[in-house]
Amino acid sequence: MTTFGQQFINALSLGSIYALVAVGLAMVFGILRLINFAHGEVLMLGAFTAVFFGASGWSFPLVVLMTVIATAIVGVLMERIAYRPLRGAPDVTLLLTSLGVSIAVQNAAILFFGAQPRPFPTPAVLSQQIPLGGGLQISGANLVTILSALILMVLLTIFVTRTRMGAQMRATAENAMAARLMGIDVNVVIIVAFAIGSALAGVAAVLWGARVGRIEPLMGFVPVLKAFVATVIGGFGSIPGAVLGAYVLGFGEIFLVAFLPQELSSYRDAFVFTALIVILLIRPQGILGSTEPEKI
Amino acid sequence: MKPRNSGLDPVSGLIEDSLSGRLSRRDIARRGAALGLAAPLLAAMGRFASDAAAQDATPAAAAPTGEPIRLGAVFGLTGGMASIDVPGSRGALLAADEINANGGILGRPVELVLEDGRTDVTATTNATRKLIDESQVAALLGVNDTTYALAVAPIAQEAGRVFLTTGATGPIIPDVGDFIFMLPFGDNVQAAAGAEYAKGEGWTTCGLLTDDQLDFTLFLSDFFKQRFEDDDINGKIVSEQTFASGDTDFSAQMTEFAALDPQPDFWYFSAAPNEAGTTVRQARDAGLNQPILSGDGFDTPLLVELGGDAANGVVFATHQGVYEETPAVTAFRAAYEKQFDTQPETVFAALGYDGVRLLADAIERAGSDDPTAIRDALAATHDFAGVTGAVSYEEGSRIPTKGVALVEIVDGQYTFLRNVTPERVPPAS
Repeated sequence: MTTFGQQFINALSLGSIYALVAVGLAMVFGILRLINFAHGEVLMLGAFTAVFFGASGWSFPLVVLMTVIATAIVGVLMERIAYRPLRGAPDVTLLLTSLGVSIAVQNAAILFFGAQPRPFPTPAVLSQQIPLGGGLQISGANLVTILSALILMVLLTIFVTRTRMGAQMRATAENAMAARLMGIDVNVVIIVAFAIGSALAGVAAVLWGARVGRIEPLMGFVPVLKAFVATVIGGFGSIPGAVLGAYVLGFGEIFLVAFLPQELSSYRDAFVFTALIVILLIRPQGILGSTEPEKI
Repeated sequence: MKPRNSGLDPVSGLIEDSLSGRLSRRDIARRGAALGLAAPLLAAMGRFASDAAAQDATPAAAAPTGEPIRLGAVFGLTGGMASIDVPGSRGALLAADEINANGGILGRPVELVLEDGRTDVTATTNATRKLIDESQVAALLGVNDTTYALAVAPIAQEAGRVFLTTGATGPIIPDVGDFIFMLPFGDNVQAAAGAEYAKGEGWTTCGLLTDDQLDFTLFLSDFFKQRFEDDDINGKIVSEQTFASGDTDFSAQMTEFAALDPQPDFWYFSAAPNEAGTTVRQARDAGLNQPILSGDGFDTPLLVELGGDAANGVVFATHQGVYEETPAVTAFRAAYEKQFDTQPETVFAALGYDGVRLLADAIERAGSDDPTAIRDALAATHDFAGVTGAVSYEEGSRIPTKGVALVEIVDGQYTFLRNVTPERVPPAS
């Protein structure tokens, strides 16, 4: 039972990180119909920013703040340089562009930082184990991960549902042309979506670094792939769907390792992606996705 | 150019020996290399010696001339094996430079053609073909991991070129064919050394973590289990967990280990260099404080760089060659530091160095760079004095019998414990 609880915490924490990444993907997709594979590189640059400021002796909260600012800027720049000139281009062009941006940033990072992994300076506080009673314990990193994901999701929900900018964002996602005719500055909405999504990826970068203890130029690929799967499971473009999908994925991965026979546990990714196919066969629009007729 | 070494005594000793005709030209070259002497000084001495001996008109250490002898080196210079393969390639380059400074092979310069296998089977295969077809190398060496060695070996065998793996330890590698040789011991030897170390510490129960996507880690775990459960040790593996190479999150496995009651005496992590530091760190984070044992996959700077304090108390079995203070080792370390501004990062640097020197030695003995002649000479190697130990290939075997070094991480330092020869070694296949 204790093991189950402990694995539950692991899964919750892993799902939280995927959720923070997936939300950024879902927001951008909802508005631009763009699957931004370069989102993982935002995460990677965030991790390197955190290591840079951490090595300069800044305190941890300041490091997180600087990382979030840096990733938000990176996201906005990416939109401005790579995606805005292609506004209105076919979806496939945007998709390929995002793959191109991803590869270009990865290789630039290898050139600048070198291909070797580096340690992530996790503060001692986060490595501590905090007893929860009943034999359960939670590491500082897991606690911070779960709490910060929870708080950020609540804030994001309030932002999207209760603020003027949130309403504009939903309107643009619904129908960009109509939103523009209603006087919404779609460019501002897009910039805000990129900034928020990338800032969340910055938080995810720090939490991921603290969890696994290492960063490297190619580290963004796996989280963004998982986040992509999460958004597909949850229903592409739906923010709550992306979060739900992320937790499904986190729980799937951890519990497959924990409860499958050990000869099979390293195939966890195969099981996860099989689950994806099954879900899409049953609900092609994802768990929370809505079926809307294709706009003409 | 100035002589690299100003230690007068060994130099004058060498001159004296050569004057009295006690040394052959090759010996002078070898001892000169060990002293780290530069080419001009050696060349002068070589001429001096041969004049004195009045045996041979060609000076031994004259600058090599003629068509270069090409050796092909494939290493994973990027990707998961880079932390051991980059030092391996540096060791190989250093050896080639030294050989050229000492008159080359058969009077001809040696040219080391280096290709990046990118820690990827396809890229390694392509690199191997390129070396054979385009660069027309006489022999191949490199890759320190079994999976990639098994990618190179069939191509080399088919093309009829010797392939000497400098650090891959899968004892089935030479089974590919009679052109395939190993420089290190097999995994059965290092796994047995680990199991016998545990026995010596009085540990009887073990939790085993295995990367089940690499040949090396599967072999290591398998041989470790065989030896540890053998009747004279009678140890017990109480739990087994697996992961896949490239994983970065091991929380589920570590949680399963942490839940074991009672806890085992120690853990054996069969992991490749890329996961060495990360697994250890996450194990300690999950509260696993027992000693962690492993094999030469842990002989990487990443263990301490990524593991940090968590790496303390880790003991791994590895190759001999950089940890003790023998004259050969000291000379190698000095030469390496001079060329690359760093101490050898791992023992794989010394293996790369020995690899090129062993091939050069075989070509000298073969008297030509004909691939089949090289194979026959290499197979007949007897007591080749390498930095990583003596190499002899017994009749029909292409794996040398070598001892194992045990290394412990103490306060973040790679601390040499002792050299061991396992009492019992599980059969290779």
